[in-house]
Amino acid sequence: MSSSILEVTDLRKHYSQRRGLVSVLTGQGRVIPAVDGVSFYLRENETVGLVGESGCGKTTIGRTVLRLTDPSSGRIVFDGRDITNLSRAELRPLRREMQMIFQDLDAGLNPKMRVHAILHEALTVYERPSDAAIASRIRELLEQVNLKDSKLANFPAELSGGEKRRVGIARVLAVRPRLIVADEPTSALDVSIQAQVVNLLRDLQKHLGLTYLFISHDLPVVELVSQKVAVMYLGRIVEMGLAESIAHQPRHPYTRILWSSLADKQNTEASLSGRGGATVERAARAWGVFDFEQPVNGCRFAPRCPLYQDKGRPAVCTDPASEPPLRDLGKGHAVACHFA
Amino acid sequence: MMEAPLLAIENLRTYFYSRAKRAFIRSVDGVSLHVGPGETLGIVGESGSGKSVTALSAAGLVSAAPGVIGGRIELHSHRARRNLLDGLERYVRVKEEDGRVMAVEKDNRGWRRRAEALMEGVRGKEIAMIFQNPRSALNPYSTIGTQLVEAIRLHTSLKGESEAKERAIHWLERVRIDSPRLRFDNFPFGMSGGMCQRAMIAMALSAEPSLLIADEPTTGLDATIQSRIVELLAELKAETGTATLLISHDIGVIRRLSDRVAVMYGGTVVETGRATQALAPQAQVRHPYTAALLASIPSTETIRRKSYLQAIEGEALDTIDVPRGCRFYGRCNRVTEAIRDRCAGVEPPLAEVAPGHKVRCWLYSSTPSSLNPAREPRQ
Repeated sequence: MSSSILEVTDLRKHYSQRRGLVSVLTGQGRVIPAVDGVSFYLRENETVGLVGESGCGKTTIGRTVLRLTDPSSGRIVFDGRDITNLSRAELRPLRREMQMIFQDLDAGLNPKMRVHAILHEALTVYERPSDAAIASRIRELLEQVNLKDSKLANFPAELSGGEKRRVGIARVLAVRPRLIVADEPTSALDVSIQAQVVNLLRDLQKHLGLTYLFISHDLPVVELVSQKVAVMYLGRIVEMGLAESIAHQPRHPYTRILWSSLADKQNTEASLSGRGGATVERAARAWGVFDFEQPVNGCRFAPRCPLYQDKGRPAVCTDPASEPPLRDLGKGHAVACHFA
Repeated sequence: MMEAPLLAIENLRTYFYSRAKRAFIRSVDGVSLHVGPGETLGIVGESGSGKSVTALSAAGLVSAAPGVIGGRIELHSHRARRNLLDGLERYVRVKEEDGRVMAVEKDNRGWRRRAEALMEGVRGKEIAMIFQNPRSALNPYSTIGTQLVEAIRLHTSLKGESEAKERAIHWLERVRIDSPRLRFDNFPFGMSGGMCQRAMIAMALSAEPSLLIADEPTTGLDATIQSRIVELLAELKAETGTATLLISHDIGVIRRLSDRVAVMYGGTVVETGRATQALAPQAQVRHPYTAALLASIPSTETIRRKSYLQAIEGEALDTIDVPRGCRFYGRCNRVTEAIRDRCAGVEPPLAEVAPGHKVRCWLYSSTPSSLNPAREPRQ
C-alpha cells in the first residue's frame, strides 16, 4: 500500500442540528451522522467511484478528505502525511495538490471575471510566473480541456454548460493537482455533453497521471470511469470492490437494488422490453425515507432490506450491538451484510 | 384508417425574445405531433430542444412574450373537436428576413383573452399536467388533502366535501401512498420528493383528464425513487388508459413508458415513430442525432471494454441563428459528399422511411421511393 495517495480511516463527520431555544440553551440538539465510520484508500493514478443516493454522505466525504470541512473523528493521510489536524496555514501548500470539481457549474467561476482572468488568477495563486509563462500555460490549459481561444474574452454567463465545465476543469488543472475530487461533474450537463466531459476527464487522467475520487449517482458513468467503486448508504460504505464486480456480482442487497433500478437506463434490448423492474418492486415494499431521528439498531439498511424480509427478519440484523462490519470477501471485495 | 388523434399539434411555433442577445429564440419552430387515445407519446431531447416549451404551449401555459405565435392545437375529446389556438392568428404578425425573425408584433392582451376563453374547462380538466420538481408545484401552505379535494371539487362532479375527501383518499391509495388517511393531512414539506410526485400524479389524474402532460416527471429524484415513479406511471397507464404526452431527457424513461416517440432538436422534430422502432439499439434507419444521442449513453458494451463514449461534438444549436439547411448539419458525422450541398442549404423534410416512422434527414429522402441511404455512409 505504499503507493496509496490518500488513505482514510474510520472517518466521521457529524453535523449537529439545533432547533429551538431549549436545544440551543442546553447545547443539545440532534446529531446527524453524515459520515459514520468510513475507511478507504486511493492509489496513485486510479479512480475510485463513490455512489449512493442523495443524503448518503458522498459529498461530505469529498469535502472532508480535502479538509474543506473538518472531520469529527478519524484519520486522513495524504501522500504519507497525516492531514487530519493540520492548520489552515499548514494545509495551504497541500491545497494545490488536491482539488475539487464541484457539481455546480458556476462554482469557482466569478461572474464578473472573464475566462482569461479566471485562469490567470488560478495560475498566480501559488507562484508568480512570468507573463510569458502564464500566457503559454493558459494556451496549454485551453488545449487540454478543448476550449477555443476565443472563449478567453467571455464572461461565464456567456458560456454554455459544457464550456463552463471545461473552464472549471482548466482552473483546477492550473495548479497541477495530483488528486481531484470530482463531485457529480456531469450531472448538470446534457447527455451528449456529459459524454464529452467523461471522455475529457479520462484523457486528462491518462496524460497527467491524475487520481480521482469520482462522486456520482450516475452508475453507468461511475462503472465506466472507475477501477474501484464504493457504495454508500446513510453515511457508511456498505460494499466496496472492483467496478465490474460491484456492477455484475453485487453482494449487498442495497447495491443490487441500485443497479437493478438502473437496468432500464442502459441501451439494451432488455430495457426495451421492460425487464429489470422486478427486484426494485420487491424491495419497494418497505422503501420509505430514512429518518435520522430514529436510533440505528444494527444494520441501518434493515428497515428497507428485501433480504431481511426474505430471511424472516433475523434478530441479528436489528441487534443494536452488531452493526455489520465491512467483511472482506477476497479480491478487494468487501461487503457490510450478515448474509450477503 | 387510423383512429382520430386525441391531440393534434400542427406547425406550432413558440418564440421568446432574449434581451441579452437582442434576438428571437425560436424555441418551438414548426412542430407537428399527435397523440392517439390511450397512447403515450414520449418527447425526448436535450435542454433547449423545445420539448418542454411544446408541452407548455399545448397546456396554454406560456406567458413570456411573444410566446405562441402560430399553429394549431387540436383537442378531440368528448366528441367535440376544438382548436385551442382558434382564431388567434389575427393577433400576431411576424416579420422574417433571410431565415431570421426580425420582429414579432403580437397583441398580447387580445391573445390572452381569447386563449383563456378557449382554455376554459380544458386546462386542469381535459389536460392535466405533472411537472419536474413536485415540491415547488405543490402549495406549501396547504395540506396534500386540501389540494387534492380542491382539484376534485373543481374538475369532477363530486362537489360535496366528504365525497371529495373519500375520492381524494382513493387517489392517494391508487398512487401507492402508504397510510393515505394519515398522509391526507401532511404538508408537502413533510413528505419526500418521491411522495410529493405521487401526490401530484394523484392530483392530475383525479380530474380524470383526457390527456396527461408529464414534463420531466422523474428528473431530480433519486435513482431508486425514479424507477419507482416510472413503475407507477406504467401501472397507472395500464389501469386508466389516459393518453399521455411525456417529456424527458432520459431515454431510459421514454423507452420504458412510450408507445411512440418524437426526438426533438433545435426546435423541430427530427424523428418520430414507434418506440420500438426509433429507439431500438440496432435500428438501421434513424436520424444521425438520435443515433448519436443513444451512443453517448454508456452501454454495457462500452463499459465492458472501457472504451470512449461517442460524444456529439460541438454544442447544441441555439435557436436564434437557425441555419438555412439541416439544423444538425454542424454536428453531424454522417454527411456524405453526395448530400452535403443539400444538408447545408435546404432543411430536410420529415420523410416517412417506414410506416409510421419519419426521419428528417437527407440521407433518407433523396428520392421519394428509396427507403435506404443514398450511399452507404462511412464514419
